[in-house]
Amino acid sequence: MADHEATAHSHHHEEDPQAHATRRAVLQAALGVSAGATLLSALWVGASLIPRKEEVPSKEPVAVGDVLVFATGPKANQEITLDDLRAAQREPIPFILAFPRSPQNVVKKDLITNTIMVILADPARMSPETRKLASPEGVLAYSAICKHLGCTVSQWQNGLWRCPCHGGEYDIYNQARVVGGPVPKPVPQLPVKVEGGRVVVAGEFTDRPGADV
Amino acid sequence: MYRWLDDRLSIGKLYAKAFRKAFPVHHSFFLGEITLFSFITLVLTGIFLTLNYEPSIRPVSGPLSGGQEVPAAYYSILYIDSLPFGAVIRSLHHWAAHIMIAAAFLHMLRIHLTGAYKNPRELNWIVGVFLLVLAILTAFTGYALPFDNYALTATKIGYEIGAAAPWVGKLLSDILFAGELSPTNTQTIPRLYSIHVLWLPLTLIALISLHLVIMIKQKHTQPRYAEKVAPGKIVGVPLFPQQAAMMGILFLVYIGATTFIAGAFLAHPVEAFGPPTANTPAVKPDWYFLWIYGILQIIPANWRFEFLGATFGPQFWGGILVPTLIILGALAIPFLDYSKEKQRYLELPSRHPFRTSFVIGVLMFYIMSTLAGYKVDLGLSNELLWVLVLVVPVVTGVVSYILIKAIYGKEWNQEVQVELRGKGPATD
Repeated sequence: MADHEATAHSHHHEEDPQAHATRRAVLQAALGVSAGATLLSALWVGASLIPRKEEVPSKEPVAVGDVLVFATGPKANQEITLDDLRAAQREPIPFILAFPRSPQNVVKKDLITNTIMVILADPARMSPETRKLASPEGVLAYSAICKHLGCTVSQWQNGLWRCPCHGGEYDIYNQARVVGGPVPKPVPQLPVKVEGGRVVVAGEFTDRPGADV
Repeated sequence: MYRWLDDRLSIGKLYAKAFRKAFPVHHSFFLGEITLFSFITLVLTGIFLTLNYEPSIRPVSGPLSGGQEVPAAYYSILYIDSLPFGAVIRSLHHWAAHIMIAAAFLHMLRIHLTGAYKNPRELNWIVGVFLLVLAILTAFTGYALPFDNYALTATKIGYEIGAAAPWVGKLLSDILFAGELSPTNTQTIPRLYSIHVLWLPLTLIALISLHLVIMIKQKHTQPRYAEKVAPGKIVGVPLFPQQAAMMGILFLVYIGATTFIAGAFLAHPVEAFGPPTANTPAVKPDWYFLWIYGILQIIPANWRFEFLGATFGPQFWGGILVPTLIILGALAIPFLDYSKEKQRYLELPSRHPFRTSFVIGVLMFYIMSTLAGYKVDLGLSNELLWVLVLVVPVVTGVVSYILIKAIYGKEWNQEVQVELRGKGPATD
């Protein structure tokens, strides 16, 4: 087909077929290079759809020395005291959702895996491993982000800490062992201590927080 | 006037070619049209919503939020609800989406039960499956836009399900949602807004057009009665004026009925959940996701392993693998059950007991996995639900196969014999 066109063409213009073939090759090369460059730049632009990691103080992960503050409610951003935890014990939801506040007074609430559950529990009921990372008063903290699909574990039912999304249930006295639902792993524990009535982070999470996906 | 236009546009030819297209008359043939009407309603109500919605989460406050600082997207929903008929139009958008998905699903069932996907219409079946998947995806990308606590939670679960896909899941989720969903991620809402109001609707319009062009080109499969009335001929009423009149009436009835539903059952009042917080409210997905939600709840927690850096956990089995297999299965149907000759007439479900009972079994699977979505509310155990989800559909399929054979089998044999006898003299 191409040959036929070429001959037809050269008949019209009395052109050297060799020159025609060269011109064709140059055009094809130019087309190829343009297509390649277009594809590359399209990929370059497309890659910008991947969100950038912004490094701002409010997105820093929880660190030793952070103070736990209320994440929600009328007391949001205020320090959680031992009294608050005692008062919560008498409520239907006996725990408090918290964010860490850095020594520079930044509440690190823009990183979702910084959502922490803190509760005052009876140390005698805790397993030895759990007790080791709790404060002597019985203040206990876990990552509040469900290992299943990342909801905040926000319910309390029959003495179990429960996720409202797909019914995952955790035993807070036993390193958040999964006792019900489809959750593949326990949420990590956060070592805490009490200093001057405030809850202070005493160590790293025992495992990576956030959904196990 | 007509002559002037005809002179320039050859309307006469268009009329003869397109407007005379024969539409078979049968009530089940209107399901596809109802899907189309829903889409039109969604576009029209959607345009109204975009004109008043602010795709941003910058904090604003005003009289509608009682002076409280709320995200701008959330505030603009309060604003839309305060406009004359604003809440009804927003609600209409919501219900039309539900009706579109339901009608598309029923339309697909009709095609399946009557074997209309067979040669030469395999391609349009595939386009149809993609349309249904895209419609559901479009509905899902609209969830987050009101930006209340419920919307954010539901969308976040979608983010994590996407991230549960091996290797590329996290990247794809990050691209679709512009990073992890949180009450303070400012990029998520503009990203989802663009996808929801621009890209997915454009893709839908393109695929709907393709679906219709293929249908016009290949012609409808003819209902059974057409074979008796005029064998070998295309039977039906022309698009214009008869079919157009019926469509017009149906559209008006559709708009009337859905507007009534929208007004009587106002959808998703954002005030009920308030702006997003660190807390998660109790959420249940819409009915077309409830079955996945059910399956996610009954997958055992210990079904988890890691392979080449990817995690295969309960989220993957329930949220990614099962839906993918079902979509692939749907795509494979015209290739598993095909006919060599071109299919002209619809097949009676009673004459195809295996296919019909298969469809009934699949519907039972859907119902049972939806029931699993009420696991916690009804206090059902995992063991019982596994039996219900796996065994009941199979039993239902087998029982309906036996019943269809018993009820219609004899009649069918007689008819076949009559047909054979009828043909007898001609071959002699």
